[in-house]
Amino acid sequence: MKVTRRDLLVWSAGAAAGLLATPVPWKVLDDVSIWSQNWPWIPQPTRGPVEVKQSFCTLCPKACGLRVRMAAGWAVGVAGSSTHPISRGALCPLAFAAHQLNWHPLRLRSVRHGASRSTWAEAQAAFAKASKEGPLVVIDGYPGRAASSVLESFAEKQGGSYRVFAPAELRALAPYQRWTGIPAASLGYDLENANMVISFGAPLLDGWGTPGRFTRLWAERAAGMRDPQLRLIQIDSSLSRTAARAWQWVEIREGSESALASGLAGALHEQNLVPAHIPVPSMTLAESAAQTGMSVERIRELARLVVAKPPALVIARDDDPPVAALNVLLGSLGKRGGILRHSERVKAYVAAGREIGNARAVLIDASVPWGFVTQGDAEVFRFGAWDGGATKADWLLPAPGFLEELTDLPTAPGCSAPTYGVAPALMKATAEVQSVAQFLCSLDGTLPTTAKIIDSRCEELFRRREGSVYTQEIASMAKFSSVQSFKEQLWKGAVWAGEPALGQQFNCSLTEWPISTRAVSAESWSTDWSAPVMPPLASKLYQESGLRESSPRRNA
Amino acid sequence: MSTRYGMVIDVDRCTGCGSCMMACAAENNVPALPQASARTGLTPLLVRKVTNGNSGESRREAFIPIMCMHCEHDTPCVKVCPQQAVEVDKATGIVMQMPQRCLGCRYCMTACPYHARYFNWWDPAWPPGMEKSLNPGVAVPMRGVVEKCNLCHARLHSAKEKAAVAGRREIDLADYVPACVEACPTNAIHFGDLGNANDPVSKEAHSTQAFRLLARLGTEPKLYYKSNEAWVRALAEPDSPQASEVQRG
Repeated sequence: MKVTRRDLLVWSAGAAAGLLATPVPWKVLDDVSIWSQNWPWIPQPTRGPVEVKQSFCTLCPKACGLRVRMAAGWAVGVAGSSTHPISRGALCPLAFAAHQLNWHPLRLRSVRHGASRSTWAEAQAAFAKASKEGPLVVIDGYPGRAASSVLESFAEKQGGSYRVFAPAELRALAPYQRWTGIPAASLGYDLENANMVISFGAPLLDGWGTPGRFTRLWAERAAGMRDPQLRLIQIDSSLSRTAARAWQWVEIREGSESALASGLAGALHEQNLVPAHIPVPSMTLAESAAQTGMSVERIRELARLVVAKPPALVIARDDDPPVAALNVLLGSLGKRGGILRHSERVKAYVAAGREIGNARAVLIDASVPWGFVTQGDAEVFRFGAWDGGATKADWLLPAPGFLEELTDLPTAPGCSAPTYGVAPALMKATAEVQSVAQFLCSLDGTLPTTAKIIDSRCEELFRRREGSVYTQEIASMAKFSSVQSFKEQLWKGAVWAGEPALGQQFNCSLTEWPISTRAVSAESWSTDWSAPVMPPLASKLYQESGLRESSPRRNA
Repeated sequence: MSTRYGMVIDVDRCTGCGSCMMACAAENNVPALPQASARTGLTPLLVRKVTNGNSGESRREAFIPIMCMHCEHDTPCVKVCPQQAVEVDKATGIVMQMPQRCLGCRYCMTACPYHARYFNWWDPAWPPGMEKSLNPGVAVPMRGVVEKCNLCHARLHSAKEKAAVAGRREIDLADYVPACVEACPTNAIHFGDLGNANDPVSKEAHSTQAFRLLARLGTEPKLYYKSNEAWVRALAEPDSPQASEVQRG
């Protein structure tokens, strides 16, 4: 039989039509699509034994307790630790993706000198030379750690100065240090016993202090209640996240917090709501009303509200003396539900400013927020785990990232009870990093290492036999038979916590109503996030939900 | 009796911090693709801000987390799926999405009245090395299929495994907590069994302050919201007279 061209065409058309009636093409299409959806180069999660470890978030000084899920030696999930007595299982939103930060595209992976790549040896030689040639300034953003002791000792030995760029919660306590002589870092707010909290722009429900502490308290004692046990009055120029959830939001003109504080003090005196011997502001109620945009009667009404449910506690966003003086007026210093001193062992520090005088070299720790830049001609050595772009640093030195370094965690800013924790390095470093303490110890072999300082601190806590240790249970210090067993618990993520010191008298030297020393700026919600980058997930989700604005630099 | 997992979200407690979104995305290995936009990104849980429309000190804001509502009756996405890639699990009440069956037609996205479904436009990708931080309990999302909240099904499996090891048939509800519930710093999200009248969540769902979004559609969502504020409750039905009042301020 002769096969013609016509037959071939008919058979081909018939076969094609018939094939469509079989499952073959559809199965092939399905398999191809599934195969192409699962290319071999599509990333897959790490496989390996999964375990959960207790630790702490080390990305800012708030020291929240973490439960870290680990697989094959890498952190694969982060959640809050409900056994932590301060954060109580809550975290800031950024912490949930903090374990991804170590692989952020902007991770600083090598030493940089200006625009070129350099080595640790060259950086050490340059720093040793600069610190010998002239005055040295060392700047720390997270005081009280073992690493801070190393920084301070090194600065002292070199005849330099150790300064602290404190978070806003600590700066807000600075006026009390000036009036009482008690270091601001040893003071804290007794939020647990306050019935009225008046916040002058402090983002209490948006990452302020240890984030879980106030949000948990607010959720238990105020959320959704018409007459809450804990009344939160938020004074803000806009309907902030905290103002939206406050018992009352008081709208004022931006930057007029000090004027309102003076007006409130006047209204409290005028209505005999506070003792007469307390200093009276020179600003009249009418002047305060004109500056804040409120009516005189509204300020008087607010003054009555402030004293309606004692104890009342006033919280400033930053170092704002007139706002701080309201606590003196209300008798909140050293009182239950007021401002307490949690430790007598904390030293006062010198606050870091942008001016560094005639310093020859400046060493900036990774804990200092990236936005802090010094002025002057000094050679700047800056540690950082991420490269946040434009900075005045001459040397960029890669620091350990999230959970890549052993560190200890002193009392968080604003806490009324002392706490102590140890965060061991849970993951190996993903870059050639050195912590600032390692860097300085390698230059000066006589300095104690962070591990040694942490050991001695644990021993001191054990000797004092005060407080309790928080794990799945709460164990009093008396239960520990040896310092070794105490240390073991701390290294496994337990928290030591002492009791707030109630009933301590404060000798306050405030004799005249203070004036505002500087304008308190409304800073970004993530100001305390010292890393210059955010987890990529955070950038994505906030952009897609429109919930928050983040600066383009953080959106890398 | 089968379980009906559901949630009650107390809107008065939500501060809009976004922890639930972050925890959800990290748990479910959601990639942060730079090419994705607000319309094309994959976001199984999204927190939306709403206002009462007023200005000055009488202005109020609330935050409403939106995710799959796990509709129980005439589930719109189940009805339209030509591939049977979506089904309501009779044992748990969870609306399940099976990516291997999904052909990516996106009918379900069109049918979902809550816009709680997302199409995966791209292959998942992370910066080099970041795959080491992915959750090993959850597969990475496939390109070309629809994704949504599955109430952290991997966590349900873990709870089942734990129960099996202990020789129990039923899971302990304390072992099954979705990531968003665990992450909420104000305990605004309550999770439990709506089929059990003694479950606190079931009781909350029947309180006078509880409401469901677009309840008039009759899809019986298993996600309830709760608020003491009348203007928030009115927003649940955008076409209602109360909502119109709120929008007019």
